[in-house]
Amino acid sequence: MPVGTRILSVEDDERIRQAVKLALEDEGWTVDEAGSGEEAIELFTRQPAEVVLIDIMLPGIDGFELCRTIRRTSDVPVVMVTARNDTHDIVAGLEAGADDYLTKPFAPKELSARIRALLRRTRPSSTPHARLALGDLELIPDEGKVTRSGEEIHLTKTEFRLLCELADNPGKVFSREALLDKVWGYDYFGDGRLVDVHVRRLRTKIEADPANPRHVVTVRGLGYRLQT
Amino acid sequence: MNNVPSQSPTNSEDTQRQRRGRRRWGLRRRILATFATGALFMAALLALTTYGLARSNVVQQREQTSIDTAKRNAQTVQASLRGPAATYQPALDALETYGVDQALIWYSGQWSPGSGRYVSTALPQGLVDRVIEDVVPARMIVQIGGEPHVIVGWPLANDAAYFEFFSLGEVADTLTSVRLSLIVAGTITIVLSVFAGILAARRAVRPVAEAARAAKSIAGGRLDTRLEPENDPDLGVLANSFNDMAAALEQRVERDARFASDVSHELRSPLMTLEASVEVIEGRRADMPERAQAAVDLLRSDVTRFRTLVEDLLEISRFDAGAVRLHLEELLVSQFVEQAIAVSSLPHTPLTSSARAQQMIITGDRRRLARVVANLIDNARIHGGSEARVSIEVPTHEGAAQQLVHIIVEDGGTGVPIDERHLVFERFARGGGAGRRSSNEGSGLGLALVAEHIRLHGGRVWVDDRRDGHSGAAFTIELPAEELEEA
Repeated sequence: MPVGTRILSVEDDERIRQAVKLALEDEGWTVDEAGSGEEAIELFTRQPAEVVLIDIMLPGIDGFELCRTIRRTSDVPVVMVTARNDTHDIVAGLEAGADDYLTKPFAPKELSARIRALLRRTRPSSTPHARLALGDLELIPDEGKVTRSGEEIHLTKTEFRLLCELADNPGKVFSREALLDKVWGYDYFGDGRLVDVHVRRLRTKIEADPANPRHVVTVRGLGYRLQT
Repeated sequence: MNNVPSQSPTNSEDTQRQRRGRRRWGLRRRILATFATGALFMAALLALTTYGLARSNVVQQREQTSIDTAKRNAQTVQASLRGPAATYQPALDALETYGVDQALIWYSGQWSPGSGRYVSTALPQGLVDRVIEDVVPARMIVQIGGEPHVIVGWPLANDAAYFEFFSLGEVADTLTSVRLSLIVAGTITIVLSVFAGILAARRAVRPVAEAARAAKSIAGGRLDTRLEPENDPDLGVLANSFNDMAAALEQRVERDARFASDVSHELRSPLMTLEASVEVIEGRRADMPERAQAAVDLLRSDVTRFRTLVEDLLEISRFDAGAVRLHLEELLVSQFVEQAIAVSSLPHTPLTSSARAQQMIITGDRRRLARVVANLIDNARIHGGSEARVSIEVPTHEGAAQQLVHIIVEDGGTGVPIDERHLVFERFARGGGAGRRSSNEGSGLGLALVAEHIRLHGGRVWVDDRRDGHSGAAFTIELPAEELEEA
């Protein structure tokens, strides 16, 4: 485990912030704290963290807005903390650019496990893929780069990892469960919405017409595959 | 009218029975009965009047022609009698030339013989007296040979008299056909008005039926049901007050549900702090004295319990608010249950499924159904002696419209007494007195959530005894299913 990895924890409730910081430090992380979105942005620009933990309910700039702001400049893994298991909040959080989410109250150990899974997938893949060309799209796993018509496309680490998993076996259908397991490290009961929203985000970046995807194709009732 | 005069007002039971008796005559029936009775009455009145008028008209007409004919014939007879003959014979001959044979002549104290039924003895005495004694023309209706006749008598000069019989048989025939057509017309009128009554009753009852449907829909949980506003001012009142009531009810239910939801929501923040703090303390458990360790263990288990309670409460308040949306997908039952058991509190619970059950697919929300299995296994762990077995079966109901699948969770506890079986799915209904309170673990909402989830999936859940004769409860989930088509 990478000791000393910096986590920026954004939470307006001071007691929760303190308790979570204590628990996360016990797990070996270094924790920076921010009590508001504004404070978080200032802190993040001064000293970028390696993982950001954002509570959706924040005074001033809310969690969604903060997430979008961070995403404009960084592909750092973001975990959203939602107050309720509400589809609207979760999907909105993921669309704002979050990589994963947790519902309050969560066990800090579970959060650590999620962060580890996120960091694992943002680090260079252990089995580097060869370059892969798909029409106008070119995937260069070793460099963590994707180009369309020669131009580099900016993907978050999770989007890149998702594309790599699909590219691992082009033409093969991957079920949501399989992708949850490979990309997020979830079991059979992971949330399929994670996959769906990330696929949607990926399409807006790599497809010429996201409404009629030609690369990442939905296979009704089964999952997704990469069109060769 | 409520006429129960002989009964004392305190005898309310009888009055009630009386009222119930009347209520059995529904509005629709009463409208129909009113229409039918009215039609019957009107038709009868109309028919009787028409018949009476027709009858007197026809009879009068016939009488008039009879009188005219008789007068003419009497003049002929008079002329014949004026001659030299001293008998009525020439008069009879004269009449015969006119074709008149139903006549009698009184002349010089003698009756002509007449013909057939038309003889002097058939004449009523009153008529004879009037014509011969009082010397005035007269007529009378009499029955001769079972047929009504008009007899017209004319006094003649020389102490003679002329009587002629006119049969009213044709008139009776005419009246019979009039009667028949009136009966037919009356019947048609009644039938038509019964139809009109049915239509009117349906129209009158429609708003009531709609209100009943709406009320039922509200009772079924669709609190946003409203009645269409009516243009009719009478019915508008009904629709408006119904809608006001429904709105008030909806608001009330929403407020209650929101309260429960808000409460559990507010509890999440302190719980988050507790959860994280307990984890920090737990990490140092090894460095603590024994008594502190025991206290930490208690704290840990109750924070977990508290968390379950809050989560369950939040979930159930979402059910109450109708805010639960299923994320449906097709699931292979056996594979799904296997996975669900693996993440439950007794992950090594044995699972058996019949060959047919392994081919069954259900359409459901994976995470919610996993929660159902987990809750039932938790229940077995807490109340069923930590022993659970799960089996999947396909019930054999020949000719059933919908295929079903049963997921059965059996435990090794004391079972659920028959009179508590419908209660265990109630909220906070901890297994009552029968020694099921082996532990205080669990939120008390687990089985209630199972029931809500299964209901939302269009299935049923119930509990009975273990089928192998050992002590223990068997919880059965029944869900609609489909058989996997052979590729």
